[in-house]
Amino acid sequence: MSKCTKRKLRGRLWTTTKGIPMHLIVDGKPIDIEADPEMPLLWALRDLAGKTGPKFGCGIAACGACTVHMDGTPVRSCILPLREVQGEITTIEGISTDGKLHPVQQAWLEEQVAQCGYCQAGQIMSAVALLDEIDNPSDEDIDNAMGGNLCRCGTYPRIRAAIKKAAALKTAGI
Amino acid sequence: MASVGKIARRTFLIGAAAIAGGVAIGYYYYRKPYPNPLEGELAEGEATFNPYVKVASDNTITVIAPRAEMGQGVSTSLAALVAEELDVGLDRIKVEHGPAAYAYYNSEMLAEGGPFAFYNDGLFAETARGAMGALGKILGFQGTGGSSSIRDGFDKMRQAGAATRHVLVEAAAKKLGVPASELETADATITHKASGKSLTYGEVAVAAAQIEPPAMLKLREKAEWKLLGKPQMRTDMLAKVTGAPIFGVDVTLPDMLHGTVKMSPRFWSKPVKSDLSKAEKMPGVIKIVPLDTTYGHGFGVIAENTWAAFKAADAIEVEWADAEYPADSAAISRALTDALATQGSALRDDGNVDTAFADAPREKIVEADYAVPYLAHACMEPMNATARLKDGVLDIWSPNQMPTITRQLCAGAAGIEQDKVNVHTTFLGGGFGRRGEMDFSIYAALLAKEAGGKPVKVIWTREEDTRHDVYRPAAAGKFQARLGDDGLPVAIDMKIASPSIIASVLRRTFPSLSPVGPDKTIAEGSFDQPYVVPNYRVAAIPAQISVPVGFWRSVGNSYNGFFHEAFMDEIATAGKTDPVELRRKLMTTHPTALKVVEKVAEMSKWGETLPAGKAKGFAFTLSFGSWVGEVVQVADTPAGIRIEKVWIAADVGTAIDPGIIEAQLVSGAIYGLSAAMGQEITFADGMVEQSNFHDFDAMRIFQCPTFEVAILENAKKMGGVGEVATPPAIPALANAVFALTGKRIRSLPLSKEVSFA
Amino acid sequence: MRAFIVIATSAIMVFAMATWVLAQETQTPATVDAAAGLPEWEKIYAVFSHPRCANCHVEDDHPRWSGAHYGKTRFHAFNVQRGIDGSGLGNPGLRCMTCHFETNSAVLHGPPGAENWHLAPAEMVWFGKSSGEICAQIKDPARNGGRTLAEVAEHVRSDKLVGWGWSPGPGREPAPGSAEETYQAIEKWAAAGAPCP
Repeated sequence: MSKCTKRKLRGRLWTTTKGIPMHLIVDGKPIDIEADPEMPLLWALRDLAGKTGPKFGCGIAACGACTVHMDGTPVRSCILPLREVQGEITTIEGISTDGKLHPVQQAWLEEQVAQCGYCQAGQIMSAVALLDEIDNPSDEDIDNAMGGNLCRCGTYPRIRAAIKKAAALKTAGI
Repeated sequence: MASVGKIARRTFLIGAAAIAGGVAIGYYYYRKPYPNPLEGELAEGEATFNPYVKVASDNTITVIAPRAEMGQGVSTSLAALVAEELDVGLDRIKVEHGPAAYAYYNSEMLAEGGPFAFYNDGLFAETARGAMGALGKILGFQGTGGSSSIRDGFDKMRQAGAATRHVLVEAAAKKLGVPASELETADATITHKASGKSLTYGEVAVAAAQIEPPAMLKLREKAEWKLLGKPQMRTDMLAKVTGAPIFGVDVTLPDMLHGTVKMSPRFWSKPVKSDLSKAEKMPGVIKIVPLDTTYGHGFGVIAENTWAAFKAADAIEVEWADAEYPADSAAISRALTDALATQGSALRDDGNVDTAFADAPREKIVEADYAVPYLAHACMEPMNATARLKDGVLDIWSPNQMPTITRQLCAGAAGIEQDKVNVHTTFLGGGFGRRGEMDFSIYAALLAKEAGGKPVKVIWTREEDTRHDVYRPAAAGKFQARLGDDGLPVAIDMKIASPSIIASVLRRTFPSLSPVGPDKTIAEGSFDQPYVVPNYRVAAIPAQISVPVGFWRSVGNSYNGFFHEAFMDEIATAGKTDPVELRRKLMTTHPTALKVVEKVAEMSKWGETLPAGKAKGFAFTLSFGSWVGEVVQVADTPAGIRIEKVWIAADVGTAIDPGIIEAQLVSGAIYGLSAAMGQEITFADGMVEQSNFHDFDAMRIFQCPTFEVAILENAKKMGGVGEVATPPAIPALANAVFALTGKRIRSLPLSKEVSFA
Repeated sequence: MRAFIVIATSAIMVFAMATWVLAQETQTPATVDAAAGLPEWEKIYAVFSHPRCANCHVEDDHPRWSGAHYGKTRFHAFNVQRGIDGSGLGNPGLRCMTCHFETNSAVLHGPPGAENWHLAPAEMVWFGKSSGEICAQIKDPARNGGRTLAEVAEHVRSDKLVGWGWSPGPGREPAPGSAEETYQAIEKWAAAGAPCP
């Protein structure tokens, strides 16, 4: 199924997989790649499409750092094989519009949430999904939505505050 | 009593064994400043004034914050120190980490390496601190750790800002033909009020760079501070909320290849038999490279993409040699218990403990055995580095805490001189001490050697990361106290056994050197606490278990805080004294500690009756120069014990950025609570059993308590903030669990005996 | 999100219709042959009570994790829950399908997957229930999704999510037997009058 060619490095030959041609829509733009259909979306985004916003944390959907949206639903891209990708992909790099931060990003900035920042792309994508469905999330709604996003710096109290601020910003149309 | 010379030598060997005999020959180097590493890399029209500041003719101001930004906010605070004296807002400063350079030595990180309590300002302790600090400078030891960056940078960075401002003003005075004393600076502009003339910093930068600033300038008084002492917007925040490519894993270079490693799951073991054929034939795999390093043995994979590399690593078939250390957790526990039977080195020995116990009636004795497991750092960003060896020059992009040693060891790995190595330090997706190691950089350098001049980005899987950490050491303690008739301790005898971190670090970094002297990390957090007990002995015993161990947020304090403060709680219970009252009585000679205890007791309404099913626990630890008291409140719920609220009072001496400090205190506490609740690294057949976040998890948002934090500034010396809230969080929780359930849990994690909601 | 609503709605409709149809039928034949039926029930019980099935047939809102590397049976990590709407599809921001796709992850400890991954309705409780309790439930249309026993058997044979229990992906112990064998056992058990222990 995949098209193999030979490539060379310092006189050594290796088999390269051009893979299967695939068409993705990422952050509103079409992207054509050739890849092994088993490759998780995360690695296609990061290594083939130059989208490094989603992060690799665990590879088993246990930390949420790789979270992107597929047609608006949050998915863990580190275990989503390309063959199962159906729908438009949105990453952290695609949520601000016309140079204006998404209200969730704006709230994150104002509440000074991030420390190391590595998990924050995933945290923000989960928060965006939560606020897409619940306008004014309670503490419990936040707990129910964000448990899959691990933060080793312990930014949770500020994440909580920022989600509430983002809800207010959204309501105010900011 | 040890002579000064003896202490200096001993502490020197412990703190940095890299150059034996260095102190004696060191004074020349100590006095000679290192060259400014920025001089060689200036852009057109850009000027540099010292290793920390560059000003371009378009008025772009760049501050070099040469410490690893791993979330602790150091880049913002170091830049703020410069900005304060330079009269610019942080919003117009560009902050860079800068190159690996001796000029960026960290003297504070080593200064506290000696076996002295922080409050000990006697001659010997101060002399040793001076010697250790000088050593940091001689070594050109650029490192981030020990919660030392701001203490190290406090004067250096402000001096850099002041010196830059001074020469800019001098240059402007010359250009405008007015006395420098008539010029004012604000927002990167120099103004002559009388004439209304003004110049930007950029306009006079090149001229100013020719002027020699005075060696030392008078710095602004605290009362004059505009930025310092107030919360600033972090300079890295926008990048971090927009997914910008700032981490090691985000490095992208032309023609870049990808890779990973598969190292022996038994530390130090070599492959006995291996079959690479299956892996080599996999699509996208370019090369499998055997790796033999001081960190361990195994294989590296070079591939076209990370996924292909991961799959190939999985497909490598290897049989590894047996472990050289006790192969399972039970055997490791026995080794620790056996070590406790030996004498050890007493790092504290007040009064006469043996006499005090000799005639003690049985009912006045409190005894307890404690133990903690190995722990992984579990940084969110798995270990990684990107390297390119081309035309004899090695470039390495590495999220690391030790740029100069990284440069040294990578040069060795690549077989080139250090001056042919450029270390580019990226942001770190968590560090916690893990990234002070060189393994991930060395592996990338070795793979770059095999990549024909192309860059290779080498990312570990989470499983590889979890199973090839340098762990927080397991430790065991044997404690005894004799109570007086008033319930207060007359004597305390503590013995703590743990593998030596220093010995472990040396084996993998500078294996030709042997550690000498006691490793104070074994007992730090127990021997150096501000309690007065007439007979008080704390001994450290190195246990010979060669599982790699390293610096884990707060190091030895991470378990000694638990040992010491949970045992203090036992003493309080046995003596029928309130735990806070016990501290009030034992800390009378340390007013800074007392004020912290009073503050956190007041904040948490300690002593007020709680509803049934709720309880509080208290603990205090002095570490890295900061005095921290914490109270944890827990509640019994149908789903298990819920941690409801945590109060923290921390005296840091001088608070540079209260917003960042608050974040660090909460962060440190959560890091400790995560470990206390459920983390452990266990061994079977010489291999780590845990592999990923399903079996080595940390606190999640739905388990996270609310926090109330108070930052105090009574201490006369400045303390650190990055690690200091971790140690007391653990015993405060254990003591709260005792208050709630009556269970005195002396072995972590607590989840072995109770469950958490 | 649209997909989620369609699934939820159609599930509710199927459930409602089935309940209505079932109300017209009887569940148990007149004669009960315990000797023939109970051994068949034991096979069925071994499947239904197996962690691959029972871990998502829970009374409360928490699916369970169990098996090697997960310690003793515990709540699914990450505070994964049935969902505030009771759909069994998870909560806003953290749907089952955030991690569970249509196929098993090939990675050890990666999430398993099957079409329409969700938690069984709260009334279909197998986790922590005795053989007799599960048996009674299977026969009760109000607690079996409104199915006749023949429909239960067919559901077990053909539903993709049920079928996952026998091919649960790397590192997980499959449910005993197979979908077909379990189908046969239900048929035989029903024919024997569906005796309960």
